[in-house]
Amino acid sequence: MDGQLQEDWLDAKLRDELPYIDDDGFTSRVSQQLPVRRGSSKARAAILLSFTVIAAVLAYVVAGGGSFVMDVVGWFAVKPLAALYLITIACGLLVTGLAVFFALSRSRKLRS
Amino acid sequence: MSLTDADLVARVLLDDDHHAFSELVRRHQSAVRGLLRNLTRADVALADDLAQETFLKAYKNIRSFRGEAKFSTWLYRIAYNSYREDARRRKELVGIDETQLEAEQNPQTVNPALRQDLMYALRLLPLHERTAVLLCCQHGLTHEEAARVLDIPLGTVKTNVLRGREKLKHSLAAWQHN
Repeated sequence: MDGQLQEDWLDAKLRDELPYIDDDGFTSRVSQQLPVRRGSSKARAAILLSFTVIAAVLAYVVAGGGSFVMDVVGWFAVKPLAALYLITIACGLLVTGLAVFFALSRSRKLRS
Repeated sequence: MSLTDADLVARVLLDDDHHAFSELVRRHQSAVRGLLRNLTRADVALADDLAQETFLKAYKNIRSFRGEAKFSTWLYRIAYNSYREDARRRKELVGIDETQLEAEQNPQTVNPALRQDLMYALRLLPLHERTAVLLCCQHGLTHEEAARVLDIPLGTVKTNVLRGREKLKHSLAAWQHN
């Protein structure tokens, strides 16, 4: 019991010896030395989106103005219904899997 | 509603948000500077330089913060490592310090009035005991957190805290009964 009291006394004294240190410009000195930030993530997202749209338009023009869409529709039209179901499910699973993967990696990044 | 440390860290990670990081500095500057002042034996200028270095290292390496420990624990680890690096640079690391400390601990060379001062007694402790006592008893870290900061086994931290406490109690025995 006496030992416990001594420990409490010692801890209390140690904590008393740790007064709050006024910032006194410390934070602003550190802030001034922080490395220059990269472009914001919004700017990066806008640039990425712009390039994606340009690439899509180019692909559309190069591929004959969308005739490939008609070809693909025609290809699907002659397939049996069961095959179409399978393709639909496979696409759904693929998209879901990718979304889960990116969501998990993003949350892991935020947690770490 | 104020943001938690984790929220602020997330903002820094996502947007390199300087304001969020400044808020983290504002929150933790006192504790980090206090720890470093005790480690440097109240060399305020050196402690503040090291604290500044600590926060800059934290900013540059924030992606390596895993979130397994508290942000403050992670900062203490960086601060302690910065102190050790600096001490090594100055050729003042433990081995050399110990000799000087042992001389200081000789009762005949110590001013009796100062012996009653807690901070003075603390400065007489060897670095590993002093740091363990400061982290656990003054800054309120658990033994596990201190072990992570100091990168030493849990049992060693417990031993260092115990020994440090014993020496402090011994040094301050007279003071305690006043």
